[in-house]
Amino acid sequence: MSDIRLVNVCKSFGQEKVLINYNLSVSAGSFFALLGPSGCGKTTILRLLAGFEQVDSGQIFLGNQDITNLPANERSINTVFQNYALFPHLNVFDNVAYSLRIKKLPNELITQKVLKILHTVHLDKQVYKTIDQLSGGQQQRVALARAVINEPDVLLLDEPLAALDLKLRERVLVELIELQQKLKTTFIYITHDQDEALAVADQMAIMNHDGRIEQIGEPGQIYDQPKTAFVAKFVGTTNIIKGACASTYLENIKNVEKSDLLIYLEGVDKNLNLNRDKLILNLSDQELVNRKFSFSLRPEKIVLTKTDEPLIGYDNALQGQVISVIYHGKSTLYRLRVNDGFVLTVFDQNRGQNGFSEASVGDLVYMHWCSTDVILLAD
Amino acid sequence: MKEFKQRLSNSFFFSIVPGMLWQILFLCVPLVFILGLSFFDVTDKVVDFTLNYYRLVTNQFHLLVILRSLWVSCLVATICSFIAYPVAYFIAFKVNKRWQGIGLFLLVLPFWINFLLQVYAWCFILERNGVINSILLKIGLISEPLYLMNNMVAVIVVMIQAYLPFMILPIYSGMARFSKRLIEASYDLGASSTYTFWHITLPLTISGIKTGFILILVMTFGEFTIPTLMGGGKKLFVGTLISEYFFTSRSMSQGSAFVCVSGIVLFVAILIINKIFSQISGVVDHEE
Repeated sequence: MSDIRLVNVCKSFGQEKVLINYNLSVSAGSFFALLGPSGCGKTTILRLLAGFEQVDSGQIFLGNQDITNLPANERSINTVFQNYALFPHLNVFDNVAYSLRIKKLPNELITQKVLKILHTVHLDKQVYKTIDQLSGGQQQRVALARAVINEPDVLLLDEPLAALDLKLRERVLVELIELQQKLKTTFIYITHDQDEALAVADQMAIMNHDGRIEQIGEPGQIYDQPKTAFVAKFVGTTNIIKGACASTYLENIKNVEKSDLLIYLEGVDKNLNLNRDKLILNLSDQELVNRKFSFSLRPEKIVLTKTDEPLIGYDNALQGQVISVIYHGKSTLYRLRVNDGFVLTVFDQNRGQNGFSEASVGDLVYMHWCSTDVILLAD
Repeated sequence: MKEFKQRLSNSFFFSIVPGMLWQILFLCVPLVFILGLSFFDVTDKVVDFTLNYYRLVTNQFHLLVILRSLWVSCLVATICSFIAYPVAYFIAFKVNKRWQGIGLFLLVLPFWINFLLQVYAWCFILERNGVINSILLKIGLISEPLYLMNNMVAVIVVMIQAYLPFMILPIYSGMARFSKRLIEASYDLGASSTYTFWHITLPLTISGIKTGFILILVMTFGEFTIPTLMGGGKKLFVGTLISEYFFTSRSMSQGSAFVCVSGIVLFVAILIINKIFSQISGVVDHEE
């Protein structure tokens, strides 16, 4: 078991600089998700780790070993390719046995190992089938079995669920998590799908379009305490509330837009206070002084009521007018206008009798949320 | 969806009708004539069934001509496959998209020149005072011009040159469809580049060699121009003998019988080669 580290890695393709001084450290045995929009360079990282591409500068370490210049076939890193890259002329057994045969293991041992791993991935009945006789999900599991049979230190998964349909994805996700817990191998999971990343990972990194890491942390941390607007928007849905101080400092702030929420400072106290027409934030004023800022407020953290009665535990209440309603069954998505340009999205969970009875377009409703759920984002 | 598929297959059916009619009219009908000529005597307005023409063309002499053609064709196809595979590999895997296009363009460039001219061009290279002889004489390697033309070697060399693209193109097209990811997957699983070549690249691209092999076999088997111009007419080939029957001695029926016999031999040869190739790819696949 060894950590994997990229140190000051640079990589460009022609004129295009994909990675600039990229640093990443993944601890051994973790299920690490690398999440980013397509074209952000996450696949390049995978290809560098696997050894299919060489770094321009920088180093890659597996444990204490510098593997920067080690060829792909000598790295204890295996890959599950996006389209599986199964060998079409070999059957399931021979695909999975491929790496064992290279090692020239005795035939009985190969058979034993292959059957065992195929049992683990529930392919007992498909052992001697050819690849084109398998469904997408089965092919995916062959690719998985083929990659883990050699017990690599690190398993790279490149959008492994991209080719599967939605129902199957959830099942494979669960299987992946269980497999990782069983094998204790470091999994590096590359995806642009935030739901997948949140579901599988115990650590995740969010990359932006420029190939830089915006935030690293546990999924819960990433989701509930996003550091930047990019992270907040990319992981899940969120309301980005732009604001500016509306106190004596206001005149120092240029370019206040009409849609920006004005926040009033009450004295120099540590809490900002805005009730009903104001907003209570759990922040020290020092963080807000003299600048514009933006907040993230997750749509599901907002509770809707039809009256303005305060709710226990919710220190904010704001009135808004329903401008659209999208019914999803388990929840309903409302878009509510507070004032011109300031529109909040709210997920109202379908809680049956105790829940919020459906509002329709044009209704005036009240939104309640807790100030601790409002996260100040870095610029 | 089903209806759509139905409509698609209907339109597919109609789209192949013109081609089918063309083939029936200009290929199948003449073939039936040939077949008829070889079995029936049509002299004196009487049509008599006879196997006499077959008796005339199944002797040692004719068989030797067929075997010679077959042997030369197989040799040419084999040498072509050895030359073509690395070339196709290079174009498909080692150069970028732009150079791939240029490579393929250069490959089909000879087709722009009349085939006869292509063969004639070789005369300038191989003849007694041709390019090779003058160079060798000039640098003093030889004192007398060499006889480079009018022999089997000249026939084979020119055939290889003329038919090489027919081997490169199918191999290349197979390689272009072959996903590079598979090579990466093989490295990823610990294979060396040699192991990867024998276990992944070759088995998955060998069908291109088979296609090219059969293509060249069929085309060179009946080749007329090259044996005539380069072989000096000393050794008879299937193509030259057929033209002899049809255009010189005008014994159509015997010629037809010879066409049928050589056709059958070619067909059997193709079956055997097909078998050999599936055997090879089978061995490559399941070596261990």
